[in-house]
Amino acid sequence: MGAANSLATNEGAELVRRCRTGDGAAWEEIVQTYTRRIYNLAYRFTSRADTAEDLTQEVFIRVYRSLEQYNPKQGDLQNWLMRLARNLVIDDYRKRQRAPQDEAADDLEDHQYHLRAAGGTVQREMERRELGVQVQAGIDKLSPDLRTCVILRDIEELSYQEIVDLLKIPEGTVKSRINRGRIELAKILRRMRIVEA
Amino acid sequence: MLCHEFEDQLTDYLDGALEVQANRQFAEHAMRCPVCHDLLSEVKNTLLACSASEAPIAGTDLEARILLKTMPETALNCSDFETYLTDYLDGFLMAPLYHRWERHAALCAGCSELPGAVVRTIGACYTYKQNELTVPAGLEARILQSTIGNVLPREVRAPLKSRLVEWLRGTLDPIVSPQLASVATMLLVSVFVLTNTVSTDGSVGGIYHASLQLAERTAGSASSSALPNEVKQLANDLMRSEENSGNANDANHNQNTSNQNNAAQGTKNSAPQNKPKGGSSEQKNR
Repeated sequence: MGAANSLATNEGAELVRRCRTGDGAAWEEIVQTYTRRIYNLAYRFTSRADTAEDLTQEVFIRVYRSLEQYNPKQGDLQNWLMRLARNLVIDDYRKRQRAPQDEAADDLEDHQYHLRAAGGTVQREMERRELGVQVQAGIDKLSPDLRTCVILRDIEELSYQEIVDLLKIPEGTVKSRINRGRIELAKILRRMRIVEA
Repeated sequence: MLCHEFEDQLTDYLDGALEVQANRQFAEHAMRCPVCHDLLSEVKNTLLACSASEAPIAGTDLEARILLKTMPETALNCSDFETYLTDYLDGFLMAPLYHRWERHAALCAGCSELPGAVVRTIGACYTYKQNELTVPAGLEARILQSTIGNVLPREVRAPLKSRLVEWLRGTLDPIVSPQLASVATMLLVSVFVLTNTVSTDGSVGGIYHASLQLAERTAGSASSSALPNEVKQLANDLMRSEENSGNANDANHNQNTSNQNNAAQGTKNSAPQNKPKGGSSEQKNR
């Protein structure tokens, strides 16, 4: 990897400035820093590695074309970039919901999960990996509206207001979807014996 | 006092209900008879132990059960219970609703496990988030190829010109702030106004001269022989009135009329006297 998880505000602004001049190395650093995060976001919505990859690529193409619009005074690069990414991923998700394809979340098992080297035995890592697979499988069973809200709130950890702004729906609706989504997910995971009663 | 009499009076003694005489006899017997003395001590200790012991704490559902029996209308149904679950976890429920919610959680067999399960689910989501998937091999290269058209970005160097422009932009950006933009606009306007209206000697009275001379020149270039005379006449009239009054009204009027307007006005005023020429010069002036 070699890249940090996020960049300081001034670092991000400097990278964008260099990108605007056509500096390939600066763009590479942005790609290396944020690919993993955006890929994971895309994967949570798509549950398919290939679709998530395509979507991640699309996000970066859009980001690259929009670099001129980035204004460091309005927030750091990560917030701007993730906001753009979430908008695109959710748009794509909604589109796919309208025209559903015969995609089953069948490649969940094939996934390589990042194994943390520090702290934790192999057994524990296996359990964590398993948990990740099962949580994703549980999320996949939720209806699209509930799923979107649960991912944004409990995995992306956005505030209610950020979700309102992103989805452009009233706060009451956001709250009730999060509530309903959590309950549904808890019941699903309980049935799967992930979350014991 | 005999021992059986002692036993009979024991409760009265402990309650303080004996007469003075009987009380003294009871106490004397207790001092004399070791068996009765022990009995008295034992009963006293038992009573003490009884009063010290408390009933086990009532289960949280006792109050809920009582309220359910007495005020069933205040009980929450399962659907409402679920509706308020996140608000409960977020601490947003007002006290009355909070207690109704907790009573339902205590009593309803179907719902009592749900809050715990939801909390554990949120925890599972969080754990899931912590275990991010690794980036698939080749994805970054694909992204670089599709954006900058090269998988070796270090080979992509910015052209000197754009680097220079970007550097200048970065350097000047903090200087050219919005506050200074308004100052710059005001400066521009003031330069424009001064260079166009102030007379050569800088006096306000001279502004008329400057304007009228300009009007004269422009009218003269309109190849009309009658007009310059009219303009001169107008200039003389104005100068006279200025000399007469020389007050602020004139100054205001001066400032309101630009040199171009004066020229046009001059021709317009002359129009009724010399219609065809006035008309043509007006067009040319414009």
